[in-house]
Amino acid sequence: MSAHTVSMRDALYEAPGPKTRRRTRIITGISLVLVAIGVGLIVRQFYVTGQLDAKCWSFFLRQGTWRYLFNGFLGTMRVAATAGVISLVLGVVFMLGRTSGIKPLEVISRVIIDFFRGVPSLLLIYFFYLALPQYGLRISAFWMITLPVALAASGVLAEVFRAGVNAVPKGQTEAALSIGLTPGKTMFKIILPQALRIVVPSLISQLVVVVKDTTVAYVVSYPDLMQNARVLITNNDALVQVYFVVAILYILVNYGINQLSIYMARRSGNPIISRTTENPT
Amino acid sequence: MGYAELFAAYGEKYLLAIFETLSMTVLCFAIAMVISVLVTVMRVSPIKPLRLVGDLYVQVFRNIPGVALLVIVAYALPYLKVLMPWKVCVEVVVVLLASAFGSENFMTGINAIGVGQIEAARSIGLTFTQTMTKIVIPQALRSAVLPMTNLLIATMLTTALGSQVPLNPQELTGLVSFITTRETAIGILPFTVSAVIYAGFSVLLGLAGNAIDRKVRVIR
Repeated sequence: MSAHTVSMRDALYEAPGPKTRRRTRIITGISLVLVAIGVGLIVRQFYVTGQLDAKCWSFFLRQGTWRYLFNGFLGTMRVAATAGVISLVLGVVFMLGRTSGIKPLEVISRVIIDFFRGVPSLLLIYFFYLALPQYGLRISAFWMITLPVALAASGVLAEVFRAGVNAVPKGQTEAALSIGLTPGKTMFKIILPQALRIVVPSLISQLVVVVKDTTVAYVVSYPDLMQNARVLITNNDALVQVYFVVAILYILVNYGINQLSIYMARRSGNPIISRTTENPT
Repeated sequence: MGYAELFAAYGEKYLLAIFETLSMTVLCFAIAMVISVLVTVMRVSPIKPLRLVGDLYVQVFRNIPGVALLVIVAYALPYLKVLMPWKVCVEVVVVLLASAFGSENFMTGINAIGVGQIEAARSIGLTFTQTMTKIVIPQALRSAVLPMTNLLIATMLTTALGSQVPLNPQELTGLVSFITTRETAIGILPFTVSAVIYAGFSVLLGLAGNAIDRKVRVIR
């Protein structure tokens, strides 16, 4: 949600008169009842299928359950943080290649960026999991999940960085060149430091995508939150409960990251550039 | 195994997989558009409970990882007596995820219009319906072209979740894992083929979206 959501929403309506106010109240009442019925039906479905029974939930009272989930969460964070750092570096490298002004380098960088942006991360994970071992390349489960996630993110990040570089006023480049800095120095000393500051909120929001991509770690049996949840299920026979709790954990983490990026965007006045706002090609 | 053998053995499966990926993409995107319009209407309506439900819907489905949602729909819902075919499970997941982002795109489009225009519309006496149909929706749709193009591409990439459940016929990612598991010496060939098809369609859709956007963009 953007900063103006509420004000724009409210601007759509005039201050309501007594008749409209009454009608709004009635519709509000009806919709409240409908929402309550909906929630009630869902809870009822849980109840009649026996999913609310105490025995299905009791193991959440055990400390070991949460410790195990927390270990999984640490695994998720380890993969997400490592993949995040790698994709930052690669993103900058691809962006520099694409804006280098050297034709062959530009074309190659563009192909790489478009490739990683246009391919599902699951396909990249299968590449590292199924194809590389056929060439005798043995890497650990950690890297089998981290590398594809990092590569998938690097393409989008390159475009985010490019948008950041473009957002630095042209005059900066002109001024730097006119005082005799080389194009390389201009980029690294003048443009890039400013561009990085501009894209901080976008980088944080991109972390959500990285966290989401790590959930496929079970394919390579790396003990992340999702994989540990699956182990818990085989031990406790409480599939519905574990999957719902884990989903809520993921939602909370990603919601937190999103809110942080919105806060940073509002504080610095730099908009969030994401896959959905940038130019697709 | 070279390209020729790969296509001799799996050419037909590849064609089916391309069709599967594309048809799922189009169907899911179309349904997601309808739902995201409905959710967006709820979110801008003056009815508090509907606003809350709309906001909750978007926050839940834009923050949940696709895999986590898929295991719930495919493996947890049957325990709640909600049983769907595998393919429908994947489609439901893709639609839920895409519609949340679609609604966010519409909201951004509406917010970009600016309070001043709404005030201007009201002060010349337009009704709420007129303001919506003549001022808000046309502009919101135009500025949503680019984000929606990206969403369409993202929807295609999300259908790769189909590789996590047994589909028949398989989509592009599932087919790669199927072939590579059976042919243990096939190397990166099946990946290259699928990846080029995905990336090719992504670039094509992107170009089309850019062309449409240049035509209809509102310059502010």
